[in-house]
Amino acid sequence: MEDIFHWCREGNALQVRVWLDDTEHDMNQGDDHGFSPLHWASKRGNVKIVEMLLLRGARINATNRGDDTPLHLAAAHGHRDIVHMLLRQKADVNFTNEHGNSPLHYACFWGYNEIAEDLVNHGAIVSIANKFGDTPLDKAKGNLAKVLHDIAVEAGQDLKKIKFKDQSWLGLKTRSRDATLSRFKGINIKDLRLFEKIASKPSGESYRAIWQRNNVVAKILNIRDCSARISRDFNEEFPKLRIFSHPNILPVIGCCNAPPQLIVINQYMQIGSLFRVLHESSDVVVDNAQALKFALDIARGMAFLHSLERIIPEYHLNSRHVMIDEDLTARINMADAKFSFQEKGRVYYPAWMSPEALQKKISDRNWEASDMWSFAILLWELATRELPFYDQSPMEIGMKIALEGLRITIKPGVSPHLSKLIKICMNEDPGKRPTFDMVIPILDKMQR
Amino acid sequence: MTPKVVGSVLKSPDEDQTKSAFKNELSKALGNRTQLQRNTNAKTVETIKEETAVKLRETKEKYNHPKRRSSGIFTKSEKKYNEKDKRRFSGSEIKFIDSNTEYKMATLRPKSPKPLVPAKPEKEESIWDKIGTLGRKKRIKEVQEAEAVQAEGKDSIETPGNPVLPTLSPEEYEMEENEERCMVDQAALDDPKVQELINVLMDWINDELASQRIIVQDLVEDLYDGQILQKLLEKLTGEKLNVPEVTQSEEGQKHKLSIVLQEFNRVLKLPPKSQKKWTVELIHSKNIVAILYLLVALARHFRAPIRMPEHVFIKVIVVQKINGILSPKTVNEAVTSAYDDIGMKCERDAFDTLFDHAPDKLQVVKKSMVTFVNKHLNKINLEVTELESQFSDGVYLILLMGLLEGFFVPLYCFHLTPKEFEQKVHNVGFAFELMEDVGISKPKARPEDIVNLDLKSTLRVLYKLFSKYKDVA
Repeated sequence: MEDIFHWCREGNALQVRVWLDDTEHDMNQGDDHGFSPLHWASKRGNVKIVEMLLLRGARINATNRGDDTPLHLAAAHGHRDIVHMLLRQKADVNFTNEHGNSPLHYACFWGYNEIAEDLVNHGAIVSIANKFGDTPLDKAKGNLAKVLHDIAVEAGQDLKKIKFKDQSWLGLKTRSRDATLSRFKGINIKDLRLFEKIASKPSGESYRAIWQRNNVVAKILNIRDCSARISRDFNEEFPKLRIFSHPNILPVIGCCNAPPQLIVINQYMQIGSLFRVLHESSDVVVDNAQALKFALDIARGMAFLHSLERIIPEYHLNSRHVMIDEDLTARINMADAKFSFQEKGRVYYPAWMSPEALQKKISDRNWEASDMWSFAILLWELATRELPFYDQSPMEIGMKIALEGLRITIKPGVSPHLSKLIKICMNEDPGKRPTFDMVIPILDKMQR
Repeated sequence: MTPKVVGSVLKSPDEDQTKSAFKNELSKALGNRTQLQRNTNAKTVETIKEETAVKLRETKEKYNHPKRRSSGIFTKSEKKYNEKDKRRFSGSEIKFIDSNTEYKMATLRPKSPKPLVPAKPEKEESIWDKIGTLGRKKRIKEVQEAEAVQAEGKDSIETPGNPVLPTLSPEEYEMEENEERCMVDQAALDDPKVQELINVLMDWINDELASQRIIVQDLVEDLYDGQILQKLLEKLTGEKLNVPEVTQSEEGQKHKLSIVLQEFNRVLKLPPKSQKKWTVELIHSKNIVAILYLLVALARHFRAPIRMPEHVFIKVIVVQKINGILSPKTVNEAVTSAYDDIGMKCERDAFDTLFDHAPDKLQVVKKSMVTFVNKHLNKINLEVTELESQFSDGVYLILLMGLLEGFFVPLYCFHLTPKEFEQKVHNVGFAFELMEDVGISKPKARPEDIVNLDLKSTLRVLYKLFSKYKDVA
């Protein structure tokens, strides 16, 4: 069958690239056995494709149905360059599959000595036992066992056998996504099973729901009068929100266009929005490093959005419109973008918006620069854990930002680097604000 | 009939002399025409037409003389003369060609077009030439046509013209015993209030008929024949009237007018007493008072989005012949009275009762509304002291919605400092949209009512907000 998995197996780099360029394609989807494109390319040793996938942010620790990661497959099939690439991208070197085998088990068993040494050099533990009580050293043939043992000792590894523990119930693994998630954009309302309501906002009511055995969120849009024209616009606009091709963007999976009901469906995120993590009760601890990581995630997502043509449903960046994935990745939530017919003339969160965005139509201003302003407010929010202008109503905030020069104040506690970045990002002159591509390296540096 | 004579007449300061000179000329022209008519059988169509054309042109040239134009009386009747001929000869359909004529062909303009661009110079000969060469084959028909043309030319000159009645032939001044005639005091029409009423009504008609490319420039001259009244009624009711599209003869016009007025009375459902104010005779004789009565009633009935000046009076001189003596008396015709709202036609509500029966309580209601809106508007440093005027441009209404519902309205969505009527209407309409979006039922009042400073409509809208949000901090 001619599909992405086939091309990754065959090493058809050109086809893979074309496929990846379509934002509606989810590179993290899995086939019938949960193999993602990265799994296949790693297994077959198609270096170019692996490189391409990693560059575009494919999930490195995604697992197939047997809980193998791409590193398992690359190690088992002796593709040393790919193993290196995966290790460089911080692949989990001690991840065990359903048999309890780590990548090192396979490298030893198949006699890929160099790979085994590389793995141990990157921190692979030689004493992990699989389901049957065997460690990688037990699998090694010849003098490989001794070589590995020496490296491990030198690295100060505790050589006591680590017993196999079935941890699959912990839910730590990130399986490749169900491919059906990205396959159907028009969703039949009858296939949707709604459960409890989780949010009620001016834009609509959100329910937890199940669709094709996947946990999803279904937002029923709040439309006063769903005319044929609105239904048509909806059909035209929502496919633009199906951006599966970036790890920091949470796509809209699909929509039900069943007037009078218009429903937007996206993946269910247990943790919730960044707003919830920062300002409401949440188990997630956000230290400075985590805050910076969120910032970097958001910047990457926004940079990708800006690399595309401007899409019609308008996305306003603020902490409510960023979701936190289970692996604590921040993701731009496309389901929060506003359709052209939605909330006309009403802005509920003006505190994050630039003065010019409150005064001018999107076509009359530099919308990328306006997003950068919103990002500055978000950085401030991440640094202070406070809400901007929490004591005022949106109308007050909007009027004062637009007409009276109301601005956030940076408190002394904020690090000088960050406060400088915030100031740069919210330059009064939109033309002087940086782009997200410029901000990413700065944040990257600050993270280290 | 030489230009010299005309010139000398013009120089004469005495108006009566001018009038009589004009009458002379008319009767001369008329005489020539009747003569022509008599000779019809003998002459060929072409010659008749040429002769008529020459006559027409002569008369036209004379009265198109710039000095002539300035004297109103002449141009009016002469205008009609030109226009009638043109209508006739340019085909069966009316062609609105010249700015001098009653109707003007306009490109579809948005609203209330303001006159006027001077029209192109006329091309007189071409039409005649064309008919002349085409017409040979159907002589008999053409002869009849020529007769019709002549009859019409006669008609157009003879028809009773101006309400000031300067063109009436002396015979028409003869009155029966006890007969009453009324005349409008010309000075009364110059009253600014009357002028305002006329302009407001004219703008309204032009707005309504803009889509049909009809522009009214003179209320009396354009409405008396029923043509535009018919179009207006059709537009307002959305029903087609079964009347001939175009009529030229006085009889036809009157017949049409009577059908149109019958329909008006059916729609307006007013008592016969008020229906007497606009009879076929009155309107066709270009009685401004009758036309105004009719239009005001119409505007009230259809809740025209206009604000008419209140208490407009027109002085009318009524002359009655008693015992062979003409006795004049002056009567004030009240064209409009006080309106507490702009022709509200919906069912009565608490506010009607309030306005009618407890005007003292009105102040209390107004005060509590002011307190309510100020509680919220104060947050953005705004203060309302007078409800009807400060809400009329819609800005406060929009801001209030945002304050009450917890959203900001981007400034590009409305006019923060509206100047034009249209901008204000847009603002109020937009505020209504916002209300509907957040689940408030559509206000009964129309945006135009609010913009026109209608207190009752403003209060109705504010009360809707008050009852929903009175507990919002």
